[in-house]
Amino acid sequence: MKILIVEDEQGLRDNMLSYLSGDNNVCESCGNLAAATAKLASYSYDFVLLDIGLPDGEGFTLLRYLKDEMRSEAVIIISARNSLDDRIKGLDIGADDYLVKPFHLAELKARIFAVFRRKASNSNNKLVFNEIAIDLNGRTVTINGTEMVLTRKEYDMLLYLIANKGKVVAKTAIAEHLWGDEMDMHDNFDFLYSHVKNLRKKILDLTTNDYLKSVYGIGYKFTDR
Amino acid sequence: MKLAAHYNRVNIIATLSVLVFGAIIYYFAINQIATKLLDDHLSEEVSEVLGYIDANQRLPKEADFDEDQTRFYKVNGKPLPTRFYDTVYIKTKLVSNRSGRAVEGSVLFKGDLYRFTIIISKEGTENFVQIIAMITLALMLGLFLILFLTNRYLLNGLWQPFYKTLGQLKAFNIEAPAKFLGGNTKVDEFKELDNAVYIMTNRVASDYQNLKQFTENASHEMMTPLSVITAKLDTLIQDETLQQEQFEQITDIYSAAGKLARLSQSLLLLVKIENDQIADIERLDLEQLVNEKLKQFQELFASKVIIINVSLANKEVQASRYLVDILLNNLFSNAVRHNVNGGRLNIYLNSGQLIFQNQGTATALDGEKIFDRFQKGNSSEGVGLGLTIVKNICHSYGWKLAYKYTDGLHTFIIQF
Repeated sequence: MKILIVEDEQGLRDNMLSYLSGDNNVCESCGNLAAATAKLASYSYDFVLLDIGLPDGEGFTLLRYLKDEMRSEAVIIISARNSLDDRIKGLDIGADDYLVKPFHLAELKARIFAVFRRKASNSNNKLVFNEIAIDLNGRTVTINGTEMVLTRKEYDMLLYLIANKGKVVAKTAIAEHLWGDEMDMHDNFDFLYSHVKNLRKKILDLTTNDYLKSVYGIGYKFTDR
Repeated sequence: MKLAAHYNRVNIIATLSVLVFGAIIYYFAINQIATKLLDDHLSEEVSEVLGYIDANQRLPKEADFDEDQTRFYKVNGKPLPTRFYDTVYIKTKLVSNRSGRAVEGSVLFKGDLYRFTIIISKEGTENFVQIIAMITLALMLGLFLILFLTNRYLLNGLWQPFYKTLGQLKAFNIEAPAKFLGGNTKVDEFKELDNAVYIMTNRVASDYQNLKQFTENASHEMMTPLSVITAKLDTLIQDETLQQEQFEQITDIYSAAGKLARLSQSLLLLVKIENDQIADIERLDLEQLVNEKLKQFQELFASKVIIINVSLANKEVQASRYLVDILLNNLFSNAVRHNVNGGRLNIYLNSGQLIFQNQGTATALDGEKIFDRFQKGNSSEGVGLGLTIVKNICHSYGWKLAYKYTDGLHTFIIQF
């Protein structure tokens, strides 16, 4: 995938770039509206990650330009503004998703993954990771042809981990992804551990590969290496 | 008591005392003048009588000077000095006594000394004084009436601009400041007041707008460095050469950054609620919303083995879905966070109340303080704004929020 990152904060931009690169992704970045417009005029991308608050204007302008030009780029807005108005405005103009800062890079990757899958043609609704096959439409998972029965949370967690495969994902990132806002003030991750334990057990019941690795208590990594 | 009434009271007391005091002095002065006139009259009578004696060489009869009663007595001894005095005037025709004024003196006639007295009636003078008293009384009453009416109607009218200004001040809304019109008055003091209020309201409104903007900007600006921190940490943990202690520190940084982000969001939310900026009011089924929240919090209840007892009745409210969601979230997470392992949580909803009861620390909390900003227990992981947000949401919809500690249960009651 070819991704354009439009974000004025360099620290954040660089980390997004390095996190999203690899995995057959090609990332480019720029820090203002003018540069982004120039890039979009010359090249086409699969994805645009767009910050609204840019030094030389609002990201909405770029979003409108893309829609006016009937471009096919998927757009995820990233913004420090979390007011309902801005979200509605962004999504109304045609953004595919709206992510509020601060966010985890894992969350960003999962959102890109989800938007990309949604935008892809319906025939391409199967996601395969080695012997694990996920039917995104039916929300069913099979390992070596045998269906693995997962709860909603386990399914979401598996998808989240696969979207970030090969990366260490922090516990806080998983918790925020699965439970959202109401998880707010809980630094106690007991409720998360039981879901991870169940998911790993269900995978190990059907295959001998332990893909779900725990990393020093900080988080988890889904990898075949 | 109103200023006009105060003024009226002082005014009436002062006027009344001046009038009463003045009337007394007035009465005595007029009396004095009248007596002086009578005495002059009597002196004239005396010289007339003496003239008569001189001319006619005989003493006049009593009836010779019509109304005046003149008497002569032959006396021995020294001549008497002439003196004036009050006496009784006997009116023979009516057989009634009136007060009178008399003069007494002596006269030498044909070698004999005669004492004479002349008495005249004071009736005319008394009538005169009475008439003057009546006129004065009438004037007093008239003055009083006019004062009263003036105070009542004119002063009230004078104060109208003040009440107008006051009304506008009372209706002043900082979020949408209406143009201050003032009381529209000719009175300098009120003009000055209007001016001062105008300047003040403008300044307050602009200060408020600045502060609001500052809070929002500060909050947004905080989010960017926080997202840099989070992104850097997300990248950092990909490094496989890190040691466990370093991962532990990273966990702490994650947690601190998360807390900071939530704090900032909570503050921003508080500002918005306090400014009534969230206005998407709709009809909400509270029973259904509580049930949804119960499902969402299932895992949390399970991890603390909390025993839940729920009794919900159908209840609809007019409110913002977003705010009610936050309200319930805060009440639920509050009840879970401060609960003990294996503790109880009771949730009751009826047409008038929503009640959350949970176990927790065995002592009552300070019911006054717990809703204040940044009030939290020592062991609390929150940012201390959860209950403040709950309170403010309740406040903005006119619901009452109360805290009680009964039978070992911390009870939060929302009264619709």
